[in-house]
Amino acid sequence: MSKNTMTRRNFFGVASASVFGLMLSACGGSGNSGNDVPAKAEAEYTLVKEGTLIVASDLDFPPLDSFEGGEAQGFDVDLSKEIGKRMGLTVEYLPPTNFDAIIPMIKQGGKADIGNSAFSITEERKAEIDFTDAYLDSNLGIAVKSDSTAKDEEALNEGGKKIAVQSGTTGEAYAKENMANATIVPLTTVTECMAGLSTGLYDAVCADLPVIGNMCTNSFVDCEVCKEIPTGEQYGIVVSKDNPGLTAAINAALAEIEADGTMDELKQKWFGTVA
Amino acid sequence: MSYDKRGKAFGLHALGVAMALLLVLLAPASAFALTTNKATARPNENGGSGVIGGLATRLTWEGTVEEGEEVSSVTLALPEGGTFDGSTTKITVLEGLSRAQVEGTATPAGTQLSIEFSTPITSGYLLRLEVEGMKFPADGGDVVVGGTYVNQKGEQTLADSKPIATIANTPLQALVASLDEAPWVQAWNSNPFLGMFFKPQLLATAFATLVPGWLLCLLIVVIAYPFAIALGLIFALMKISKHRILRFIATLYINVLRGTPLFLQIYIMFFGLPMMNINIDNNVLGVIVIAINASAYLAEIFRAGIQSIPQGQYEAASSLGMSYFQTMFDIILPQTIRRVIPTVTSDFITSYKDTSLLSSVGVMELMMFAKNLTSVSGNMTPYVAAAIFYLIVTLPLIKAVSIVEERIANSERGGGPRPKGKQAKTAGVAGAKLSELAVHAEARNDADVFAPALNTIPSGLASEV
Repeated sequence: MSKNTMTRRNFFGVASASVFGLMLSACGGSGNSGNDVPAKAEAEYTLVKEGTLIVASDLDFPPLDSFEGGEAQGFDVDLSKEIGKRMGLTVEYLPPTNFDAIIPMIKQGGKADIGNSAFSITEERKAEIDFTDAYLDSNLGIAVKSDSTAKDEEALNEGGKKIAVQSGTTGEAYAKENMANATIVPLTTVTECMAGLSTGLYDAVCADLPVIGNMCTNSFVDCEVCKEIPTGEQYGIVVSKDNPGLTAAINAALAEIEADGTMDELKQKWFGTVA
Repeated sequence: MSYDKRGKAFGLHALGVAMALLLVLLAPASAFALTTNKATARPNENGGSGVIGGLATRLTWEGTVEEGEEVSSVTLALPEGGTFDGSTTKITVLEGLSRAQVEGTATPAGTQLSIEFSTPITSGYLLRLEVEGMKFPADGGDVVVGGTYVNQKGEQTLADSKPIATIANTPLQALVASLDEAPWVQAWNSNPFLGMFFKPQLLATAFATLVPGWLLCLLIVVIAYPFAIALGLIFALMKISKHRILRFIATLYINVLRGTPLFLQIYIMFFGLPMMNINIDNNVLGVIVIAINASAYLAEIFRAGIQSIPQGQYEAASSLGMSYFQTMFDIILPQTIRRVIPTVTSDFITSYKDTSLLSSVGVMELMMFAKNLTSVSGNMTPYVAAAIFYLIVTLPLIKAVSIVEERIANSERGGGPRPKGKQAKTAGVAGAKLSELAVHAEARNDADVFAPALNTIPSGLASEV
């Protein structure tokens, strides 16, 4: 821990000198864009490694985050890279990190600058960290085996039913709140949930709709989404509360990405639709 | 996003009336322009699933605007004792799965929460209100969320939600609340490291909620271990057997199990068996996996232990006319057991810790509970509490191992308690190893296990030496 503070303290010295340079380059990149963000806030941020935006993600949430051939891929990953490009930073992904460890990691600082792993913006999480503006709308869904007989919330909300969820997700919170009679099994990744569902270990999986939809179509074809749950949740990028400048800078970059149509391109690429 | 205001065509009205009639039939209250779909509360019992009154939680209320209706404001009402004060409300309006751009302002006032929309919500839209930081009445009980709404015809009464079951405060929660207040706790938590890993409130919660997981860990390993020992012994004997096929089977079994990660074995068993339509209870399957895995390590430990007994003893025993099994069970294994006790205990510790891997396949053991609590709180303290639960078992065992090891080392050097019986004296000349054996036996007070054997050996050996 003391080492950690040291790095941060050291960093302060370096940062105050380098921030000015960053500010110049950042302004150069986004000078012609939004006047909705105060120019001052844009530059005053600290990074773990100078000139690099280090991103933590569980990389197990296709099509948003995945880890294929040893490389981070997905909608979120492309978005991070795009943000980095516009901020004049190199984007570096940490190896896949457990989803529930990302927020504590960003809060503690020292390892990653942002968490971009399809985080739904919730009040609970806001108590721990800051969110950037929302970049994508999402909903929840329930997946079951195609040949299952229990295909709705009521049938699943019974003792003896096992519902797999990813630990720390809104899907977990939803299942606990709405299907309290069933056993909620929190696992590390959605892949584990779906693998267990496919093999018959669990009766259902409750998670983000785009992801289980994708998995049911591509990987676990014997499963199907039996219920779409409209929650209207939105994804945001996680930044430490100690780094409001970085949040502002990312928001500026996001606004730009949205405005010039890059966001739609990314949606088209990964979801096949712009909606 | 534009909001098309639908014409109040007669047809639509008729449909609305028809639906209202249907609703009257379904719910005897009255027809609603805004139907209450559901009201749920997020469990706020730390580590539990209860909704505790008097403590901040989140109420989720959902309603659908019926055909031909427009709703411009909604007021939710709690029974006496509940409060919306200090809450923040997230308003989401959805058409199907897409969000509609509807702004709203929420004004909490005691048991009432009124929400005004910038543009009225028209038919077919789903209104979703997430009220964070509201409190249910402190006494607990079934809580019904009611209220009113305003449509084009004026103020209407909202249908009551299905009751939400809430409970009164628990002693644990009261303790946590008192810790929240304490100045020393606040000072303690203001240190980022202490606050992240040793948050007192969470330590208290974690200790209380991790117990079932801890007991399951212990249960799994305690049941698994006798099977592991039996299996391990069988494979150890097979591995030193004269039959090539037995040796081959044992070697394959031991090497495959020792050569692959336990994590992988767990995955294969848990995902593989249900695929073959073999459905075993998760906990039982956990016991089986741990037992099989440990048996491979134990087999190697037993084999090494057996082979560490000098060849001379086999020869001595066979010269006495003892069969292979007699030699094994009366002479060799009793000595082996003594020698392998420290290693076996270490392996037991490993197996106990390995149960943590079962959390990845949904066995509700210690790590699962800790992970659960961490994901809810975004704090690492539950893992520290889990570590303490592991240490409660492992530390005494580690200490025991070191004591036993010391004793063995001591007695092999010729130290330790001296023999008092006559048996050992008679055996004294008969051969250093065997007399030492008697010393060991007496030191552990289980001489009776193989004293009969010893009583017969010395005379036989004495004549030979």
